[in-house]
Amino acid sequence: MIFHSGRSPWPWRFLALGALLLAAFWPLAPLLQTLLSPQEWASIFEPRLAGLFAQTLWMSALSGLIALLVGWPTAVLASRLHLPGFGWLHFLLPLPLLLPPLLLAQAWHGLTGMDGPWASVWSLGLAYAPLSALFVARALRHQQASAHESTLLVAGPRFALNEMFRVSAPAAILGATLAAVFASTDFAVPDYFSSLGDKFSVYPAEVFNHWRSYQGDPATLKQGAAVAAPLVAVSALALYAAFVLRDRAGALESNSSRIAKPMRCGSLCIPLSVALLSFSVLLFFLPLGRILYETGATGPESQGSWASHATAAFSDAVQRGRSDLGHSLALGALAGAFALLVAPFLAHFWLQLGGHHQPWRKRAARLFGTLLALPLLAPAVGTGLGAILAFNRPGWEPFYDSLLMPGLVLGGRYLPIAVFLLAERMSRIPQARIESARLTGMPYLFRLLYVRLATCRDAWLLGAGLVAVFAIRELDLAVLLPAANASAAVRYYNALHFARDNFVAAFGLLITLLLFLPVAIHALFSKPNDA
Amino acid sequence: MKIHFLLPLLLIAFSSCAREADLVVYCSLDQVHSEKILKLFADRTGLDVMGAWDVERNKTVGLVNRLLAEQNHPRADVYWNNEIAHTIRLKKAGLTQPYASPSAEGIPFGYKDADHHWTGFAARARVFLQRTDKEVALPARVYEMAEPQFARHGAMAAPLTGTTLTHFSALSLNDSSTHVLTWLDKASQSGLKIGAGNADVMRRTCEGDVDWCLTDTDDAAAARRNGHPVEVVFPDQGEGGRGALLIPNTVCMIANAPHPDAARQFIDFVLSAEVEALLAASDSEQIPLRPGVDAPDYVKLPGRDFHATTVNWEAVANELDQRFPDFQKQFVK
Repeated sequence: MIFHSGRSPWPWRFLALGALLLAAFWPLAPLLQTLLSPQEWASIFEPRLAGLFAQTLWMSALSGLIALLVGWPTAVLASRLHLPGFGWLHFLLPLPLLLPPLLLAQAWHGLTGMDGPWASVWSLGLAYAPLSALFVARALRHQQASAHESTLLVAGPRFALNEMFRVSAPAAILGATLAAVFASTDFAVPDYFSSLGDKFSVYPAEVFNHWRSYQGDPATLKQGAAVAAPLVAVSALALYAAFVLRDRAGALESNSSRIAKPMRCGSLCIPLSVALLSFSVLLFFLPLGRILYETGATGPESQGSWASHATAAFSDAVQRGRSDLGHSLALGALAGAFALLVAPFLAHFWLQLGGHHQPWRKRAARLFGTLLALPLLAPAVGTGLGAILAFNRPGWEPFYDSLLMPGLVLGGRYLPIAVFLLAERMSRIPQARIESARLTGMPYLFRLLYVRLATCRDAWLLGAGLVAVFAIRELDLAVLLPAANASAAVRYYNALHFARDNFVAAFGLLITLLLFLPVAIHALFSKPNDA
Repeated sequence: MKIHFLLPLLLIAFSSCAREADLVVYCSLDQVHSEKILKLFADRTGLDVMGAWDVERNKTVGLVNRLLAEQNHPRADVYWNNEIAHTIRLKKAGLTQPYASPSAEGIPFGYKDADHHWTGFAARARVFLQRTDKEVALPARVYEMAEPQFARHGAMAAPLTGTTLTHFSALSLNDSSTHVLTWLDKASQSGLKIGAGNADVMRRTCEGDVDWCLTDTDDAAAARRNGHPVEVVFPDQGEGGRGALLIPNTVCMIANAPHPDAARQFIDFVLSAEVEALLAASDSEQIPLRPGVDAPDYVKLPGRDFHATTVNWEAVANELDQRFPDFQKQFVK
């Protein structure tokens, strides 16, 4: 049987790397050729572009900072402390990630009237804050009991709280870096806030406009790739720096077999509860409340009540969007399935690569992590065009037109999120458990399945779930890849154009509800993992 | 734990093959309106029709890029564009093939390609949308928008995408690029708000941020339908006015289309008076181009209710290609 293929991990790793190359790097090949065409680089050294680039950098850095400042404490308060309602808020953490950022932007404008670049920074920061929160929650879920309890006994809850922040700092920074990366590639939200107030532009708009000049030839494809390159390079550098910070902080930690229990806060309970409630209001309740209001909001000359408009909008959303939602779920499931299959091998390889004390291996691991993230950092339009060029060939029609093609491309694009989450969790498995499994002579696949993944099942499923969610939210690739077009994202953004605001709000909530349902069911019925 | 591996493998295996459709239509018109037409055609012919749609954020470019990227092995049979410039771009790239549809009879000559590569139908007009609940200082002509007394209270989309790009390319063709670029600069200086798209400036008018905006008739219809106190005014009318710009939907057959017979059948259907009437009666209130089409009273018709300008579309498409970098430099910074 193939599962008993041996103790060496390499056949499995080569399979996983092969799948990654096929799904994520082959579509990027036409863009990567730009690296070999120096003449394409001339166009990017324009003062106008430098200004745009600088604007994008500070805006995305601030969005990342907001994600950090909101996501980090929210996760600490919701996942490690005994506060009223903390269980509910903990499982609501991924909720904003399920909403299209543009819908959240519209909600914030509706609530506050905000516009301009600062509004964009704020809205994107809050939209991606759950990324930071989820990474922190994962890291804290397995905080060492011995360190926590001794701090609590010796120094009290305030210092124990500080300890939680210290332990989760690398995860928070990695999550915030990813948030900044996502914010730096988004131009729909800046475009929206720009249209409401002071006109401003961001670099991704320039990248997108370059794809508009695409003539179906390699030259114009490369021009778009060349313009995108600086943003990709800076994002890659930011990720590399986050890995350096993680490695330095990680060196202070050691594995332990006992995990800390949620802390009771004593006199700090009231202020911390207020803080948690405030973050929750910012992250979930205000924007969701506004979006719900939008489902029935109309102009002053409109006939009928708010309730009748909202009911009609939800009914319209169910009727029109039902098949697209089903399609999107299938697409998300495929992308998630790809991550479920491939992420464990790559996460383990990445961990082993950096798990030694030689500095060159640490550097190699960081480079591997950054390289792994390249498909995520590449502009989606370029990836989509590259996928068409790679897979639209005579005889390949059944594959090209199938749901599998976008499933693989999207799975490959968002795979780094699953790998990073899983690797972070795998790094906390007690070394003794791994060693004893090795000594029994178990084949590699069995060790991975029954020792590592059995312990990290939540992180494994969460990573695949996030890949599925991002695949469902992806718009540019959905427009370009055949079987992905009949999706909820395309219908949502298509309706957005035609001022069908009630429908858009109702459909956005419906998408969120549907995506959140499995999370809720999982949270309600899952038992805490013992590590 | 094995189940976590086996289930994804099964899922991937089941999704690896697709059924081939009888007709593939790429469509840039709003999905909510065009999918009804596609469904009607599928019901009548019994063909399995697969549609693909674009989104406003991509401003037609998503599907055009897909057509360009697929050119060596086309997958689409028909492209139904909600504007005209990119259709002409596809023709110039050799991606369309001629088809003289008998249904195109009656459509004015100015909206048809002389070589039958594309045909226009059901148009949108470029109009002013003004609030009716207050006194509004509304320009009568497009060029008057830059006058400070009007500009301070109005908005238009940046001429980077969609119908606004086509509109200002047409103006540039008529009045020189220098004139239009200087005018755009003056308009911004005078306080005219520049939005991301026509729907955005329409929303700002509905919300009362501005008193009027330059937009399309379909966006104006959406504003009125949503219960906002607004009305449409056609620009450049009256003595000496060059008329409002009408931007038609266009349909073309893709070169080496995999299903050419079904493609011709669909083009005949979509160019019929019946479909123009359906689009006129839809929420987007598309303006029929051929005379005598049964349109609701609230849909204003060229020649009867307003004066439309005439345009050389091939020249506008060329101008658009040349002007786009200038507009980009002016508005993306």
